[in-house]
Amino acid sequence: MTVPATRKDLMIVNMGPHHPSMHGVLRLIVTLDGEDVINCEPVLGYLHRGMEKIAENRTIIQYLPYVTRWDYLATMFTEAITVNGPEQLGNIQVPKRASYIRAIMLELSRIASHLLWLGPFMADIGAQTPFFYIFRERELIYDLFEAVTGMRMMHNYFRIGGVAADLPHGWIDKCLDFCNYFLTVVAEYQKLITRNPIFLERVEGVGIIGGEEVINWGLSGPMLRASGIQWDLRKVDHYECYDEFDWEVQWQKEGDSLARYLVRINEMKESIKIIQQALEGIPGGPYENLEVRRFDRTKDSEWNDFEYRFISKKPSPTFELSKQELYVRVEAPKGELGIFLIGDQSIFPWRWKIRPPGFINLQILPQLVKRMKLADIMTILGSIDIIMGEVDR
Amino acid sequence: MKPEEIKKMQSPLSAWLVKHGLVHRSLGFDYQGIETLQIKPEDWHSIAVISYVYGYNYLRSQCAYDVAPGGPLASVYHLTRIQYGVDQPEEVCIKVFASRRNPKIPSVFWIWKSVDFQERESYDMLGISYDNHPRLKRILMPESWIGWPLRKDYIAPNFYEIQDAH
Repeated sequence: MTVPATRKDLMIVNMGPHHPSMHGVLRLIVTLDGEDVINCEPVLGYLHRGMEKIAENRTIIQYLPYVTRWDYLATMFTEAITVNGPEQLGNIQVPKRASYIRAIMLELSRIASHLLWLGPFMADIGAQTPFFYIFRERELIYDLFEAVTGMRMMHNYFRIGGVAADLPHGWIDKCLDFCNYFLTVVAEYQKLITRNPIFLERVEGVGIIGGEEVINWGLSGPMLRASGIQWDLRKVDHYECYDEFDWEVQWQKEGDSLARYLVRINEMKESIKIIQQALEGIPGGPYENLEVRRFDRTKDSEWNDFEYRFISKKPSPTFELSKQELYVRVEAPKGELGIFLIGDQSIFPWRWKIRPPGFINLQILPQLVKRMKLADIMTILGSIDIIMGEVDR
Repeated sequence: MKPEEIKKMQSPLSAWLVKHGLVHRSLGFDYQGIETLQIKPEDWHSIAVISYVYGYNYLRSQCAYDVAPGGPLASVYHLTRIQYGVDQPEEVCIKVFASRRNPKIPSVFWIWKSVDFQERESYDMLGISYDNHPRLKRILMPESWIGWPLRKDYIAPNFYEIQDAH
């Protein structure tokens, strides 16, 4: 067989939707010149399920099971934002105890999401063992969630006005045990990964984005904070009860993949701090104490007050959305998750636009991989932290 | 969640535009006190540059919806300003209406790059075509799909109710 002479043409490689390294079904059409990447075009839509069109025909209660399927690793955030919109439209106050429970669940979900980011990120780089370690921790979080909500992953726990049920007996102690255990485990990850010279070679200086560009491309979440911009919606928007806790925004200056890794690891440690403070300060304390206090006193004791409930008032199935528009957002672990909700004085919304953090963060991928080597695509894609469930909806 | 107070004054951007005599119409305030401005498609490009110069450097989200069956299509842009140490940042919401028969709106990709995929999605789902967008093609639906799925008058092809299927 005659071998053709060396061609100067560029090679087009299809890293197709089925690939163990792709974070879901993402197709990348990569144009290569030898080992250097010239251009990369992401093709999306393989997981498009029409979530926005479905939302126009469902009430909020009917839609809640759908929302956990957008970002299926950090499910509490999707539920939180789905109920935040109608709560603001309907001027519904959330009791303090419910707000604390929500904050605890959200931070646990953030830790779970960052853990499952870390595993595939290390696996893409080549270190397969952290993948198993993170699942060990994630199983503990799943156990906590299952005790409260009944489901390991797709909880359907948040309701308009609070949460669906109060914490079970003994949950707060178990959660505190988890926090103490998790801090030792994070120290283990730091020892294993952060100063590892092979890891640093692969990750330092790869995929650098400057501060101005990050804002122009509309990135959010750890990508923004790793490039020196201290923008965290929990501090900026003052939502839920995050103001009552003492925590810092984690940020780095360099803007490369190592900075994003460090931001996420530090965010996990901050989340543990927030959870510990919330568990200590939850109004009413553990549910077993609250129950006993309610039984002990007379009929109208203070422990039956509004602030000690887990839901303000069970919403009716025909909760009407008034004819207003609203853009609500939360700081999801992947970035800024937002819903633009146009109500229509009926039980169904007129337009439910989901602003997914992964979709917007993915736009910068073609620019970041230019002039990088083929192996760096996986590092950069991993450090952007996308999940196709919310990119495609 | 505490309900926000409605600010009863014009947003600073709107006041600045009025001062410089640029045509826009204020659509009032949405539920959180963020002002909504309506811009005509012809003016949108210049007003987008002006907003960027004024300081709105972060385009949070761009979405599109149809206002009423048979009515115009709207493209909505949420802008805000990211600055160090800011609390309750200024935000504005801009709507550009386009007619249903020939929806063309200038693209603002060259001002805020974050609308790249978002305008492609609005094109894909509602059919609003953005001029000067570098690669305006379908993003979520297959490239050969016909029809604009998120319009209210969209009929899903080959989808029959069970009782009419005979």
